[in-house]
Amino acid sequence: MPLNEILNPDIIDLEVQGETKDEVLRYMAGVLLKNGYINDVDTFVKDIYEREAEGPTGMGSGISIPHGKSNSVLRNGIMIGKTVNPVRWESSISDDGFQDSHLIFLFCVSADKEFAKNHMMLLSELAGKLGNDVRVTKLSQATSREEIMNLLLCEDDELGEVDKILDEEKIVDLDIDF
Amino acid sequence: MNIVAVTACTAGIAHTYIVAEKLQKAAEELGHKCKIETQGSAGIENELTAEDIANADVVIYAHDIAIRGTSRFAGKKVVDVPITTALKQPKSLITTIEKKLAAKK
Repeated sequence: MPLNEILNPDIIDLEVQGETKDEVLRYMAGVLLKNGYINDVDTFVKDIYEREAEGPTGMGSGISIPHGKSNSVLRNGIMIGKTVNPVRWESSISDDGFQDSHLIFLFCVSADKEFAKNHMMLLSELAGKLGNDVRVTKLSQATSREEIMNLLLCEDDELGEVDKILDEEKIVDLDIDF
Repeated sequence: MNIVAVTACTAGIAHTYIVAEKLQKAAEELGHKCKIETQGSAGIENELTAEDIANADVVIYAHDIAIRGTSRFAGKKVVDVPITTALKQPKSLITTIEKKLAAKK
């Protein structure tokens, strides 16, 4: 199964409305509902918040990856939204625990394990692609659906270069013991 | 160094895989060999073999839920960190391990 099975231009929205995380999540859930991915906005958003409560989903570079498993999901997929406004989001990266996000990858995954199983490999492959700093920087700056699709579909060695990696790690000594 | 790692996050959908990729890239960039097992919703992938583990200088657990099969790593040097540490500071994690390992020798 190719990644295209999961990526769908119909659920890439470049003008996500809303000023708060909640407004943005609800707007995006609305797009998923309209496209037949979920059957209920409230249930879906509630399940997303359940995961949000367990730890931050802001991953720096203006990108957030809310996700969760929900019984409201009819079709597994990933909704990608570029927000009109920067949205304050809990962050794993920034020191004060919050970041401004403008690109949201909303994972839409069925709570039914058997149903989700076939797509989990693809979703995990897609998630793995977000572990590349060059890709993440380019995604954060992308302005079209095609650009976003291409950046996610291409291999690492096809990414090219960027002038500056966003939120680049500063190497420091960590307080770990083993 | 020869590094093996296991990643596992609560939902098993996103961080498990993003962190695996980030750690892999950081290790390679810093000149180390690395193999990472992911324990997520897609099941166990890229499973570490007995040989992988035997050859490893260090084992990294990057997780916020219990790692499965930890008895495999008995007797190894295990670095246990929250998954967010590996997400935020993968290179710092590896360079710190390198320094500490060198100091132990």
